[in-house]
Amino acid sequence: MAEPAYIVASDNETTGEEKSSAAFPEIAIGIDIGTSQCSIAVWNGSQVELLKNTRNQKMMQSFVMFKDDTPSGGVSSHLSHEHEMLSGAAIFNMKRLIGRVDTDPVVHASKSLPFLVQTLDIGVRPFIAALVNNVWRSTTPEEVLAIFLVELRAMAEVQLRRPIRNVVLTIPVSFSRFQLTRIERACAMAGLQVLRLMPEPTAVALLYAQQQQQTEHENMGSGSEKIALIFNMGAGYCDVAVTATAGGVSQIKSLAGSAIGGEDLLQNMMRHLLPNAESLLSDHRINEIKSMALLRVATQEAIHKLSFQTSVQVDVDLGNGSKIRKVVGREEFEAVNQKVFDRCESLITQCLHDAKVEIEDVSDIIAVGGCSCIPKIKNLILKIFKREELYKGMNPSEAAACGAALEGAVASGVSDPFGNLDLLTIQATPLAVGIRADGNNFIPIIPRNTTMPARRDLIFTTVHDNQTQALIIVYEGEGNKVEENHLLGYFKITGIPPAPKGVPEISVCMDIDASNALRVFAGVLQPRSSHPAIPFMEVRMPTVDDGHGWCAEALHRAHGASLDLVTVQKKI
Amino acid sequence: MLSVSNSIAVAPTAVPFAGSSHTASSRVRFQPLNAFASTSYASTENATSSYLSHRGMASCSSLYEILGVPSGASFQEVKSAYRRLARVCHPDVANFDRKDSSADEFMKIHAAYSTLSDPAKRADYDRKHLLRHRPLTTASGFSGYTRRNWETDQCW
Repeated sequence: MAEPAYIVASDNETTGEEKSSAAFPEIAIGIDIGTSQCSIAVWNGSQVELLKNTRNQKMMQSFVMFKDDTPSGGVSSHLSHEHEMLSGAAIFNMKRLIGRVDTDPVVHASKSLPFLVQTLDIGVRPFIAALVNNVWRSTTPEEVLAIFLVELRAMAEVQLRRPIRNVVLTIPVSFSRFQLTRIERACAMAGLQVLRLMPEPTAVALLYAQQQQQTEHENMGSGSEKIALIFNMGAGYCDVAVTATAGGVSQIKSLAGSAIGGEDLLQNMMRHLLPNAESLLSDHRINEIKSMALLRVATQEAIHKLSFQTSVQVDVDLGNGSKIRKVVGREEFEAVNQKVFDRCESLITQCLHDAKVEIEDVSDIIAVGGCSCIPKIKNLILKIFKREELYKGMNPSEAAACGAALEGAVASGVSDPFGNLDLLTIQATPLAVGIRADGNNFIPIIPRNTTMPARRDLIFTTVHDNQTQALIIVYEGEGNKVEENHLLGYFKITGIPPAPKGVPEISVCMDIDASNALRVFAGVLQPRSSHPAIPFMEVRMPTVDDGHGWCAEALHRAHGASLDLVTVQKKI
Repeated sequence: MLSVSNSIAVAPTAVPFAGSSHTASSRVRFQPLNAFASTSYASTENATSSYLSHRGMASCSSLYEILGVPSGASFQEVKSAYRRLARVCHPDVANFDRKDSSADEFMKIHAAYSTLSDPAKRADYDRKHLLRHRPLTTASGFSGYTRRNWETDQCW
């Protein structure tokens, strides 16, 4: 657990308190920030407890309302009606926006939301604004998230009667490391120290590991393990994990995730009900926002009802002269969203394939998240596994927060006399990390689903005679070409001893520690010598900041292929 | 960071397998594991650390020794040994003073596990292992640690 050497200014106030109470480890709280809903849980000494807000809610809507002077979030503020959130004054779905550039399709899909999302398609942070007294007031997803986290923190501090500093947050599997830095940034702004960022299904896996341990005490060390598939689909993201569990140890065998969720189902349905739905909101005029809000609320209600009934009557007056009166059947809803459901299916099969697990080896199938109650989702999962039933021991909306709270307690060094915290998650990397080489190809150095902590290296060589410099451009993702992946950073190796092309051995080593920090080491190896000719470089990734979308292009424009590398064929 | 390789290098373990038959040596090697398994994990940190240094993941140890299982161990035994060691060596649960070295230990344990839990890789490893009638000098033969030895000499 390498703590950064610096502290962000907003962290200062609590530093003293933390030191004075170092003898008693502060139990980190677990937060599941969902695209639409959020929950917070803590280990209370004997079990995990979900905290409730002043209105006795365990699930709080994730939004921040900008009104007059002080913004207020979904933790404390009360909406008189769902429409209020859709007036343009509230920013929501920040989890779909955070750390994304304006060329990202997910950002483009967010342009139909009532608040303002502007894109210039040049690879910079999108412009986001909330409508306050008829003025678009600019903000950022980090700021919105920080405001929300401050409310959550205040709520937890009041209830637990102690200062809260350490948190475990759940994150989507598909988040890039750059997005993780944005989450950490938002936490720092809220005065919170991130102890761990946990992919959502792995938090659920930890809760499952605890449940299994409680039911089978004799299992300890016997080696008999249970394999579970965890499917987690909320409003913004769909994540899948395969975990092997025994004796409280949850080994993540594979992860898969994608930015698809209830928001996509909703938007597809809105487009289905009103084919020109997008153009309706093209200019974000006040009456356009109102019409869109009416449509969104009506569609959302219809989708919820379709989970329990086979057809629903949609009857909405958009206020601009157009009315929608339509009976929508469940099959129609499923047909409109076929692509989303296909994607869910492919994530599951990919995850099983990566874990090298056959469907009959899977003991339990766990479906959590808001979308897990959709009949089509349930059916497609059961069909893949040829089963009759899903795992029943978990509350689908609370599981991730509970798992995060368990991890918070374990990572804070708390032990439980009854062994309820003798737990361990052995994480795997959700995305491959590697560098650009062999032209424009992405060469993974640590592949996806590698057990963490991990350290791997690869040898590269020069492409030009007497090439003395090489550019190491680090990417994360699954695509074969670098453009399909997330740029994490870049640095240059200089002082390569002049030699014909293909001769110098340039070693690039990547190290991911248990807290998921990535370091990249690179340097030139000297044959017949244990000492490198030039000092090695050690770079913590990611190094890119906002506007990284055009970095790679700028590098290419400035240097072309002059600093390129190619892989060395492995000698066996 | 350098402390990792140092502590490993001075591990006092007697040269394993040298000149002895596999059954004999594996019986010897298996003793401390059983003793260890019967102790509780949380409370006996001395036992834990002494066990680890005794077992010593020196560069000359075989994958079986890393996991502390006999070479004829079943897949079940390999799995449970891996899990047991993970409970001690994983950086999330290791004591704070051993955080850095525990990552390296865990990676070695995991590498050994991933070879020995895969029938094809294990057969391959066993073939090389038995041919030489002694442990491999380096833990080569599995993916993570094939080429340069970053642990010992390069940069930390």
